[in-house]
Amino acid sequence: MEFRPILLSLKHNKFLSFLISAQVMLTLTVLSLATTTTRNTLSEWNMPSGLTQHDIISVRSEFFDPEIILGNAIADDLKRLKSLPGVLAVTPNQEIPFDAGGPSKVYLTPGVEAEGFDTNFFDMDENGPKVLDLQLISGRFYRANEVLRGDSQDISGSVSVVMISQDMAQEMFGQDSALGKTLYLAEGADPAQIIGVYSNFMNGESLNGRGKSYHSVLRPAVIWSEGAQPNYLIRVGSGLATGLFADIADSLYQSQGRYIHGIETLTRTQKRMYDGRGSQGAILLVISIILVLIAGFGTAGLVSFLITQRQKQIGIRRALGATKWGVMRYFLLENSILTWFGIVLGVILTVIQAYFMTQNSDRSVLDFGIVLYCALFIWLINIIAVWLPARRAAQVSPAIVTRS
Amino acid sequence: MFSYNISLAMRSLRERAHLTLLMIAAIAIGLGLLMTVKTMTHQSAKVPLAHKANDIFFIQADNRELTADPIVRQPRMVYLTHRDAQNIMKASTPAKAHASVWKSRVILNSLDKDVRPFRSDMAVTNADFFSMFDVPFLYGSPWNASSDASAEPVIVLTKESNALLFGNNSVGKQLRINGLTVTVVGVIDDWDLPSQFYDESFRRGRNDTAFIPDSLAIKSNIMRNERMRCLPQENALRASFRSSDVQGLINSECSFVRLWAEMDSSGSATKYQDFLEQYVNNQKDLGRFPREMNNYVTSLRDMLVMRNELFGGRDPLIYIAPLFFIVCLLNAISILLAKFTRKAKEVSLRRALGAKKWVLMGQYFTEVCIIGLIGGLLGIGLSYLGLQGMLHIAVYQSDYTVSAESLREAFALDWQMMSMALLIALTSTILVGLYPIWRIINVAPAAQLKSQ
Repeated sequence: MEFRPILLSLKHNKFLSFLISAQVMLTLTVLSLATTTTRNTLSEWNMPSGLTQHDIISVRSEFFDPEIILGNAIADDLKRLKSLPGVLAVTPNQEIPFDAGGPSKVYLTPGVEAEGFDTNFFDMDENGPKVLDLQLISGRFYRANEVLRGDSQDISGSVSVVMISQDMAQEMFGQDSALGKTLYLAEGADPAQIIGVYSNFMNGESLNGRGKSYHSVLRPAVIWSEGAQPNYLIRVGSGLATGLFADIADSLYQSQGRYIHGIETLTRTQKRMYDGRGSQGAILLVISIILVLIAGFGTAGLVSFLITQRQKQIGIRRALGATKWGVMRYFLLENSILTWFGIVLGVILTVIQAYFMTQNSDRSVLDFGIVLYCALFIWLINIIAVWLPARRAAQVSPAIVTRS
Repeated sequence: MFSYNISLAMRSLRERAHLTLLMIAAIAIGLGLLMTVKTMTHQSAKVPLAHKANDIFFIQADNRELTADPIVRQPRMVYLTHRDAQNIMKASTPAKAHASVWKSRVILNSLDKDVRPFRSDMAVTNADFFSMFDVPFLYGSPWNASSDASAEPVIVLTKESNALLFGNNSVGKQLRINGLTVTVVGVIDDWDLPSQFYDESFRRGRNDTAFIPDSLAIKSNIMRNERMRCLPQENALRASFRSSDVQGLINSECSFVRLWAEMDSSGSATKYQDFLEQYVNNQKDLGRFPREMNNYVTSLRDMLVMRNELFGGRDPLIYIAPLFFIVCLLNAISILLAKFTRKAKEVSLRRALGAKKWVLMGQYFTEVCIIGLIGGLLGIGLSYLGLQGMLHIAVYQSDYTVSAESLREAFALDWQMMSMALLIALTSTILVGLYPIWRIINVAPAAQLKSQ
């Protein structure tokens, strides 16, 4: 092999060799940090929702006038919404799929030291499963007479039956059936019986970030208070959703003393859930790609310069019997040595940078698997960048030696 | 001589123009990203109310239980309880004025049924707030101290909420906060703040659109849109503290009130520290403040500095952009080397004909400067585009709840950043040009001519 001559020639061209290695080093650092951050931000991104979100409308509304009797107002709202043409089913709700807040915990035993399971509660009336179009995996859906309704101040006790999602059942009971088991919906709360298991649907950002996107508990409850009034989820005929927004607003604004925060399809709610992460990931990836291109052009330019400088040596080698492939191999090997030297330096720099970046956040930005893939990718790009000039070098005619 | 240098440099740039373009593009792209990121951090670190930022202080004291985790950094410290804020404001202190702030979220609705109601983030404060923070008024004026004392049902609107609810000067007219009827006393004009600092949210774009007196909010039980830091045994009560049980909240150890104090000199701040210590010690005698003394009297300027230190380094772009720029510069060096080495013959001939080294140096130096200048100007253009892109991404990320207009300043290039960009472009290209220039001017006279 040509290691010795290559190393000797590199020694001769110290500065240029260093430039190539330094470029590789920095490119590797940027590329692997960007890829790891992007992978972190995009993990659990855009998972199947388990819902036909474009046919479900979410209405967030509030009665601000303290004179209004909430129970009646909600009943009126439901009646009016159901009578709209195109509306298939309506339920009052609190948490909205894709938008559920910080997790609550449920327990299998009543004690204070019981182990809790993260979940989001979704409170809906008997139409809830129909609105979300949930599939029944086992057991049964709850009935209208099991729904707990009323002002939070007047209600004593809590729901006696609940349903849980497939993933929730899997985590809590494994292979065992969840049906008939008892669940405590808060520390020291009254027990509730599990009567059914339904198909998974997306809860929201908070549990999605912890890899528990489908953990939810369905409570048959419509409970309101001055600060927490029900929203509505409306299932509409396929494709009708956006056309119904104005009708819904008009019919709800028929009652005075209320404010509608927003009417949107769950598609929009879903978009909002992923927005920030998606665009941040995209920015980093675009920047990394530009960087790899710039570095690739730079390397190609540099190698072609080195080759022009060494035309005569190449001619001599060719005259002494080196094959065209031998010449190309020489340059590819030379570049690979420089690239791998840069990669070793790049790994060190990546570790240092990752250390500084994690000073301010709790998420690790170091993943050696990704660093390795980035290194191989950069190597590949560099080989491509050298390939063209090296082929030109191989075309140098042996006769060039005779010129001077 | 200089014009001769320039003409030579221009000619040299035009030779193998694609290499020149590649070099300029590398510098411009690298600089574009660097300045985009730098401008964003520069804008977000801007101190609001800069002329008073040293005289306005944020007051905090640690009233938490003994078992809580210690807090050593001001931005993580809890606020005050309502009664502590009130006690301090009533006491005689080294401060010229105090303003307390807490937040509510309400529905403002007109008495006119045809005007649709409007959700508003509302700051609950006192009369001194407006003078302390130099709030500009479009119509009317702030309420006065006597309204604070008598819990008068008054409200100050902003230009935005005034336009939505009334359209024209609303001073003296009535509207309702949820069910409570209040009278408008003033309308705030465009208030040019880099960020909403007074509630320590430092947010941009979605600003408060109403202000009412604290005494009125407490008396009328206006909901508290606050997280509240309570003792563990009070945590279960927080929901009712937010919406209904106002007296329970005032008697609790839940902290949610931000207190600002305006002082004349920095000496007063030290005196204020002493006063606060004295106050906490008095409360300790009553069985409160069980932890060791941990008070903060922080100027607005220091708050911003600490906040940027703690939360500023979150964006990975801050780390990536400088590395990116260096790669682009390395590229520029290699291209420059390649270009100059091709000139070896010409230089060697000129040297043989008697050209001085410094003359040649001047010429190549000029060439490098021109490249740096063009790269810098293009880089400024690119960073403008980059900032526009970032602005639109921010609007998209907020799901169009903030307007591009209200965020424009956070993504604006100013003269300071533009001159910095040119300076960075020039110095860095000169730095990277040093080695290639040094190599080319040291070509031996006539050495390269032999092979011809």
